[in-house]
Amino acid sequence: MEEGHYIRYSGWNSIAGRAGGTHLTIVLPWWPVHIPDGFLSAPVWLGLDLMAPPAVVLVARRAQREFEGARAPLLGVMGAFVFAAQMVNFPVGIGTSGHLLGGALLAITLGPAAACVVMTAILAIQAFVFQDGGILALGANTWNMAVVGVLAGYLPYRFWGGGKWRRVAVFSAAAISVMAAAVMALAELLASGIAMPRSIVGVSVALFVISAVLEGAITVAVVEGIERLSPRLIRPAAPERSWALTGLGVAAVVLASCGVLVASTNPDGIWRLAGQLGIAARATSLIRAPLADYHAGWLGASWAAKAAAGLAGLVLAGGVCLALGAAAGRKRGR
Amino acid sequence: MKILAVLAWLVAIGTSPRITPLLAACYFALLVGVTILARLPVGAVLLRAAGVLPFSATFAVISIAAGDAARAEALIAKSYLSASAVLILAGTTPLPKLLRGLESLGVPRFFTLVVQFLYRYLFTISEQAQHMRMAALARGSQSRRGRRASPRFRAASGAVATLFARSQARAESIHGAMLARGFTGRMEPLAAPSPRAADALFLAVGVLAAAALRFLPGAVR
Repeated sequence: MEEGHYIRYSGWNSIAGRAGGTHLTIVLPWWPVHIPDGFLSAPVWLGLDLMAPPAVVLVARRAQREFEGARAPLLGVMGAFVFAAQMVNFPVGIGTSGHLLGGALLAITLGPAAACVVMTAILAIQAFVFQDGGILALGANTWNMAVVGVLAGYLPYRFWGGGKWRRVAVFSAAAISVMAAAVMALAELLASGIAMPRSIVGVSVALFVISAVLEGAITVAVVEGIERLSPRLIRPAAPERSWALTGLGVAAVVLASCGVLVASTNPDGIWRLAGQLGIAARATSLIRAPLADYHAGWLGASWAAKAAAGLAGLVLAGGVCLALGAAAGRKRGR
Repeated sequence: MKILAVLAWLVAIGTSPRITPLLAACYFALLVGVTILARLPVGAVLLRAAGVLPFSATFAVISIAAGDAARAEALIAKSYLSASAVLILAGTTPLPKLLRGLESLGVPRFFTLVVQFLYRYLFTISEQAQHMRMAALARGSQSRRGRRASPRFRAASGAVATLFARSQARAESIHGAMLARGFTGRMEPLAAPSPRAADALFLAVGVLAAAALRFLPGAVR
């Protein structure tokens, strides 16, 4: 049973690495997370299982044409790197330390297509080999972290990473990536009917914000370290920033996050706002349709779901715009 | 084949509306039986599957606090049973075979290749990271109780950046080596997996058991 022995050894390592000496980790049991099986209700995991593969294929194909089989080793090794990097302790004082999640780092350095595939591979290994995240829930986890997380980690950098706002762009890319993934996970849990009193949801969101800030700081530090070593960053960001895009992006993020924050005080206002976001999401992309339908079915605690869908919808819409822009640019360039 | 059986199992568990303790015990007993059949150490399996419990327990507590006790026990039971099933699958199937099974279910081959390479180099790069940590410790950076976090933070980020650069360099050289050995992007399996009668039997038994446990309680009531 060589195989089993190896699995046990590495699994322990991984668990020990994740719990590496921080009470922050214990306090954050549902930190941007791999959802295990048995948590999501059937429509949720089924819908996401159906949504995730086309989305992955879309993100992978769109941004990078030359995915011949020979590139597999590169992606595999970078996936192993993320695994190892996730075990590194980043002390942030007062006895706590954070860990890198890696989605944004991958997106910035390898590009969104490769990052998506690598994250999916990582999630698959975590689900099958380490039982970190369920198999049925793999679609949900993939959607959260490999699609939404990667896109949200890439777009801010792509648009605002050139020039003197580079650090801010990298930071916000990483932070938004973590927030989006976490909020989506939270929304899926809520939509599956897991009862969570408002206070707990508030605490969760606060913890997500802390993780997001940590991820942002760590990613900025690592990106700068990589740049100093060797400027290997593929996809340099756009040289000129479009102010319209900046304004739109900021407004979108603010709107979507207000959906999460304000909800704890004023449910009625959120219904309207979420309705608008939901409708906007429905209008932008066909892929969003299943999720939008869920929100029609659930009343009650689905405000977070709608806000998350709004956020994810915006991310997707941004991705579509980016892809169209890239395609148009390529045509013009030739 | 096994994947399908496990999937059926997981679906049955996942879609059961209510799990009474008796039902959970039945699932559990079956799982333990399979574990013994698979010649896996029962205690270790049960312990590993408990890794999912902290997460479930947190939500269970939340659910109980919110007044939904049935959901709490369902959460714990379902997640634990599902994790055990997947653990048995992982413990009995070497990864390449597992991936081939996934391929035959429709997963694109490129993707399983990436997963295989990931797995292959997982321990290599993890050990490299640990070497770097050892080296840093040997050079006097205390991992705990340092006076200021900032230099250690920068050291950690430098370590990750170095690991990144080394991983990428390693990946390039691996890529070159494989190309030099004639790698065209497909790894042909040595022996084509042919479904044997025993596999079909296992699948049938697994699916039947899962279906029975899923639907019988509803019918009996």
